[in-house]
Amino acid sequence: MTLNLFLQHLSNGISLGSLYALIAIGYTMVYGILRLINFAHGDIFMMATYFAFFGVIIFAIPWYISFPLVLILTALLGILVEASAYRPLRDAPKISILISAIGVSFLLENLATVLFGGVPKPFPTPEIFTSMVKIGTVSIQKLTFYIPVITIVFLFSLFYLIYRTKTGMAMRAVSRDHETAKVMGINVNLIISLTFGIGSALAAVGGLMWGMKFPQIAPLMGIIPGLKCFIAAVIGGIGNIYGAVIGGFILGIGEIMIVAFLPDLTGYRDAFAFILLIVILLYKPTGIMGEKIAEKV
Amino acid sequence: MNPSNLHSISDQITMPEQEALLTAAKITMRFGGLTAVRDFNLALHKGEIVALIGPNGAGKTTVFNMITGVYKPSEGKIYFMNQDITGVRPDLITKSGIARTFQNIRLFKGLSVLDNVLIANHLHLESGFIQATMKLPGYRKEEKAFREKSLALLERVDLIGSCNDKAGALPYGMQRKLEIARALATNPKILLLDEPAAGMNPREANDLTSFIYQIKAEFDLTILMIEHHMDLVMDISERIYVLDYGITIACGTPSQIQNNQKVIEAYLGVDN
Amino acid sequence: MNTRNKILTAISILALSLFVFYADRHFDIYVVRILNVCAIYTILGLSMNLVNGFTGLFSLGHAGFMAVGAYTTALLTMPVDVKQQIFYMEPLIKPLNAMVLPFPAALFLGGVLAALTGYLIGAPALRLKGDYLAIATLGFGEIIRVIFTNTQNITNGALGLKGIPAITNLWWSFGTAAFTLLVLASIVNSSFGKAMKAIREDEIAAESMGIDLFKHKILSFITGAFFAGIGGGLLANLLGTIDPKMFNFIFTFNILLIIVLGGMGSFTGTIISAFIITIANEVLRFLDESINLGFIVFQGKVGLRAVVFSALLMVVVLFYRNGLMGTNEFSWDRVLDKNFWLKPWLKLRRIPLRKGGNGK
Repeated sequence: MTLNLFLQHLSNGISLGSLYALIAIGYTMVYGILRLINFAHGDIFMMATYFAFFGVIIFAIPWYISFPLVLILTALLGILVEASAYRPLRDAPKISILISAIGVSFLLENLATVLFGGVPKPFPTPEIFTSMVKIGTVSIQKLTFYIPVITIVFLFSLFYLIYRTKTGMAMRAVSRDHETAKVMGINVNLIISLTFGIGSALAAVGGLMWGMKFPQIAPLMGIIPGLKCFIAAVIGGIGNIYGAVIGGFILGIGEIMIVAFLPDLTGYRDAFAFILLIVILLYKPTGIMGEKIAEKV
Repeated sequence: MNPSNLHSISDQITMPEQEALLTAAKITMRFGGLTAVRDFNLALHKGEIVALIGPNGAGKTTVFNMITGVYKPSEGKIYFMNQDITGVRPDLITKSGIARTFQNIRLFKGLSVLDNVLIANHLHLESGFIQATMKLPGYRKEEKAFREKSLALLERVDLIGSCNDKAGALPYGMQRKLEIARALATNPKILLLDEPAAGMNPREANDLTSFIYQIKAEFDLTILMIEHHMDLVMDISERIYVLDYGITIACGTPSQIQNNQKVIEAYLGVDN
Repeated sequence: MNTRNKILTAISILALSLFVFYADRHFDIYVVRILNVCAIYTILGLSMNLVNGFTGLFSLGHAGFMAVGAYTTALLTMPVDVKQQIFYMEPLIKPLNAMVLPFPAALFLGGVLAALTGYLIGAPALRLKGDYLAIATLGFGEIIRVIFTNTQNITNGALGLKGIPAITNLWWSFGTAAFTLLVLASIVNSSFGKAMKAIREDEIAAESMGIDLFKHKILSFITGAFFAGIGGGLLANLLGTIDPKMFNFIFTFNILLIIVLGGMGSFTGTIISAFIITIANEVLRFLDESINLGFIVFQGKVGLRAVVFSALLMVVVLFYRNGLMGTNEFSWDRVLDKNFWLKPWLKLRRIPLRKGGNGK
């Protein structure tokens, strides 16, 4: 393999990893705060791409206005999902909440099929992202560079929010202990809504860039990325935001490299993430950055 | 023995003619940076009733969890009938003869009172899965014996009247009794009681005292218990271990403990 | 069981046999097929309920076990010439290419292989709990599907299997369903079943009562996988064609819907809801298509039926968490008790009375 080719794969892996990281953060934030796998997260990501499709193509709103709108709409959708499917079950057995999560995920997928049709639609990629640059002899889409940069910008904003603002402090408090946070005067439900909103907005950022990278959108497109990003979150240590980012990059780069180096295994590409998940769960269930929590007896 | 200076006391406690049934040798439990229990020593002899006391968060339940295998001690060894049981799986420890109750009552709430006790017999079942599924005669015989034994136990603890009720529907005091009955069904040699009198009024606690005496005699038990009701503790236990912040600050007979300066300080705080 | 209940049970079994006998000869092919699917979904639901409802292990890999059973049974019952015909990309490996077994043997082997797969998956995965177990089993289910898509010389890959002999009839499906119920009910009522329920109720307490958690979890898991495999085998020989896509997560979702609607921890509920869901699935078919009612044309939309089912799951879990039956089971004593029938009526009466109190 030439160096050029390797670099091309690496940049591909980095941009895929960036997308995984953005979506994985949503899983990890929700898990951190509710100890719940938000099965619908991948579908929220899918809905974001449809919002963009409707904004840019159907309503012909320029992309620089549509895309921010998409973030807001997706955040609202996330908040709605939490309020309708998870909040009523706050004190229910865990198994009920999980079933509800699976139910809401299927509901979104099927609603999307009914409303938007099962046939894939093109994603309206703005031209400034599609043009190519030439480095030496290889030409690479500009998007490949934009994705990591945009990801980093959003990540830093998120870290600022969580570790430098009062709201972020409240979020961290809620993730430790709902009851105590409540006693401290924190509006727990509001913080949970906010967490869902932020997680969903980040999934929307991921969705928009995913749409530009793989410019075809369909109602079931969220399932596999959703599962993989959950896996990324687990690899990094679920509940830990740095972990989600690291996990996203490991998975993204790993996946691209495996296919590049072992083309015979291309058919097993989607199984790679699951195998990695199972290995991690068995040998270090808390992931790379996770902390061990002993069950109270 | 000077009661105010009791370091590594359990070594000094003299019962030389008899070997201990259960021994804990310098067991330590650390959670991350926090040391919940440090260098705890225990010698429990056959037929004794020993109490483990101390302020909240002193590490008492952690000691129980180490003995019953829920936690593996970070350091130290636990021996039961001269067998090293350190870090052995909880179900195997129960099988070998150590049963427990829980501080926050962990019954099988959705199942009937009778089922709760029947389940505790399961570890003695000799028939295999297939035999049980096919309801072969050998299995039926065992099942019948379990049933009779469980009903007798429920009769003994006055719960026979509610044997078909859901365990979670019982009043608090009865749930505590059911937990003890369930533990007894495993045929233990040692019974660990985690705050059996919690939530009881003085009269109920008093009844509990005689109840514990009775079951100890009837089932030939050795009892280690955690308890906050001092009347009960002083009344019933032959020896007392006192934990504070994970450290054994005293050990001795009830009267020794009552006059121990360190214990009084731990409970009442130091007056400067 | 007292004499009265024994007689009632015997009468019911006889009535069911007569029904199957009659339906087998006189019902229209479409109805027979739906009844077959009802019975097979009952088997799948019962087996998943043992694991999820009775043992409290949230496992989402059921479709994978069905796939193993379906492929095994299909490959062992397909005639040699059909195998040669459909495996045109890569020939089927030996000795499968020349092997044809009688249906019961093939079905049983399908169950055994599914059980073996259950062991291989369960041994590592059952060390996990709750949502981690859910996602790991889901992952294993997907891995099975990916493997089946890629092993061209065993499963014929994405092309799937065609021309599987249509052996499954009402006797097979209802008979197997009855057998499954008998075995699983016997397990659940045995000492082992009680231990499984104890694990569902409180794992830590169960372990403290001397129950070997792993042993009982894996027993439940293997048994569940075995019957899922049998259900898969019956399904393959009913449908005649199978492919890996069929056994995706949506299949597991459907079975999950059945056990949630019926009540996690109630076999009676599973049976009732397997019939409800399967029949509703047919009745609501019009939602996906356009139908002309003469005076009005109903414009159906592909996916609408699935929306109804996912909404149904949400409604059940949000408002009727215990499903139809909770953890209760059918019993003659209960059904013959007058209060059993009166209770819902009394409840209905009481609600308007209480509400009417303020004002009117």
